[in-house]
Amino acid sequence: MRKFRFYIDLEKEEKWLNEMAMQGWELTGKSLQYEFRKMTSKETVVKIDYRHFKTKDDFEEYITLFRDSGWAHIAGTKTAGKQYFKKINRGGDTDIFSDVPSKAARYKRLSDVCLWAAISCMVFFIPLITTKAINSAVLLNPKLLYFTPGLWEKTGAAFWQAFLFETPFAVMRGAGWFFFPIMIILYVVFVLKAQKLYRRTRDGSLF
Amino acid sequence: MRRNKHLPLTETVYYILLALLEPAHGYLIMQKVEELSNGEVRLAAGTLYGAIQNLLKLKFIRPVESDDSRRKVYAITEEGKEILRLDFERMKHMIKVMEENGDKAEVSI
Repeated sequence: MRKFRFYIDLEKEEKWLNEMAMQGWELTGKSLQYEFRKMTSKETVVKIDYRHFKTKDDFEEYITLFRDSGWAHIAGTKTAGKQYFKKINRGGDTDIFSDVPSKAARYKRLSDVCLWAAISCMVFFIPLITTKAINSAVLLNPKLLYFTPGLWEKTGAAFWQAFLFETPFAVMRGAGWFFFPIMIILYVVFVLKAQKLYRRTRDGSLF
Repeated sequence: MRRNKHLPLTETVYYILLALLEPAHGYLIMQKVEELSNGEVRLAAGTLYGAIQNLLKLKFIRPVESDDSRRKVYAITEEGKEILRLDFERMKHMIKVMEENGDKAEVSI
């Protein structure tokens, strides 16, 4: 089974994955979607870390350390960020973190990555505006995306008919122009959310 | 004298540095720390991994040659030994003043 979800709050994500496990759905992989497999045993604990790795060796060392201490890596790639672990040792640790600062630090890394993504989008976007490859007036006045002559002077049914007819075309024209601003706003929202979760985890004891 | 900004070390870091006076890989560090602390400090994998990365950045530990490429081996550096010594001196002083004032705090020495 596949499901599409998006989380910044790793605790909520863990909670959801553990609820899925209680219903017999075990996480087997994640790309854009979560992939689940039906299993018979319902006793699983899933925990999430957030890390990127420079080399394959670093990634393997990380996975081996977790495996040695009773956690199997079930999803996540070297550069995916989110790393999913399943408890495989009955008597072992109940969490992959044993103190508050390290549990909070994953939100710091998540926030840093989103900040870099936001800055990268800006780096691409600014030349597009300054070289006029993107008409920045459109961002402030989306009406410019409609080309029908005299559209905005029409009224009533005639207006709505022409307006709705052209809207899909306007959306397509606008997609390119709005892509970067939307991505920048999204990433900034993620940064703020991750920072809030970082402070909340760091200051409030979750243990 | 200005105090070293990395002091005081956390209990976790103190024990990890102590464990790395002899080279060890990640899981061995966990076991050694648990043993050295009489079972008081139990490091989980994510916490230990983060601590190792941090100590490498600070150059308090370094990777050393090992046969097992999946389990990297680390050892304390001279800087690491120095910070461990400074923290030991700090704690020794705290114990000394406690002993001098122990009767007031009703602590038997």
